[in-house]
Amino acid sequence: MKPAIWLMLTMLGLGASSGALAGAATLDAKVDNHDQLIDPALQARFESITKQLRCLVCQNESIADSNAQLAGDLRREVREQLLAGRTDAEIFDFMTARYGEFVRFNTPLEGKTLAIWGAPFFLLIAGAIVVFRVTRARSRLPLDDEPSPGPAAPGHPGSGQR
Amino acid sequence: MRPPRPRPSRKAQARRRGWPDDSGAGLMWKFLVPMGAFLALAVLFALGLNPNRDIRALPSPLIGKAAPAFTLSVVEDPARSFSNASLEGQVYVLNAFGTWCAPCREEQDTLLEIAKQGVVPIVGLDFNDDRARAQRWLRELGNPYTAAAFDPDERVAIDWGVYGAPETFLVDTHGKIIFKYISPMTLDVWQREFMPRIAAARAAARKAGA
Repeated sequence: MKPAIWLMLTMLGLGASSGALAGAATLDAKVDNHDQLIDPALQARFESITKQLRCLVCQNESIADSNAQLAGDLRREVREQLLAGRTDAEIFDFMTARYGEFVRFNTPLEGKTLAIWGAPFFLLIAGAIVVFRVTRARSRLPLDDEPSPGPAAPGHPGSGQR
Repeated sequence: MRPPRPRPSRKAQARRRGWPDDSGAGLMWKFLVPMGAFLALAVLFALGLNPNRDIRALPSPLIGKAAPAFTLSVVEDPARSFSNASLEGQVYVLNAFGTWCAPCREEQDTLLEIAKQGVVPIVGLDFNDDRARAQRWLRELGNPYTAAAFDPDERVAIDWGVYGAPETFLVDTHGKIIFKYISPMTLDVWQREFMPRIAAARAAARKAGA
């Protein structure tokens, strides 16, 4: 009897606290047990930068989302560099110098990344050319293979008779 | 009921579908473009689906760059420090490991064997680890390292672009990283990938010195 009551109370307490704190806040606390940066502008930059950096261990997660040890250590690195007054660009350079362009989710537009950025436009234009050619070839068709008009169909076409 | 449609000629049908026929353009659209597309896809798949390719292994941007300098305490003794500057002018190997890493245990025998050959100094970089546990690891499994540096908060490992373990780097006589191998070391990999590079680095150094 007694354990059952305690269990109920605990459940109630858990429910109340998770409701009060909102799920996201508790999840963040689990991922990152460091304090928030005091300066809200720095904290906003911290969040934006860590969302754009790939966790190299679990390669489809950002270091903001990942629970991996490396992600935590890279967040610490970002936080320290922000506090040291580094710019966003300097922090991204720090990461790419160590881990390569792959660490960035936002691929910068540069000479060597031109193919990545250009491919969708290239494919779109190539597709447009194909469509244009096909439709033009069709529109030039003589209508010689159309069926000769047969005896007048009863009723107007589209009057419901099919 | 509609009267049956007369069958259009093949030629007209082809044109209807937008495939220009019996001309150079027809040949191109019918054969060369699909063939080209097929070959391009075949090459892409051959590269992308190759079972021997480790999709998680990333090329290191540090190849050809100066090895990041560090000074850390050694695993065995917090009071004794090791700096990779002490190996300047030598070809050496840096092996990043941790006792939390199962594949590192796997490669330990190989590293001991390589250490016994005594070709190059092997520096250990024990990162994100517990010192007592690392000491026990070296005692129990054997210590292949000339020096095992202790990097508890991964700062040096981050400088070296380490994202997993084990990772093994090769540094030449100019202190430049010339090769990185991600995965447990094997004697085969050592013979095939490391030995020729070590020989080449030393030959280049001798040539420069002569």
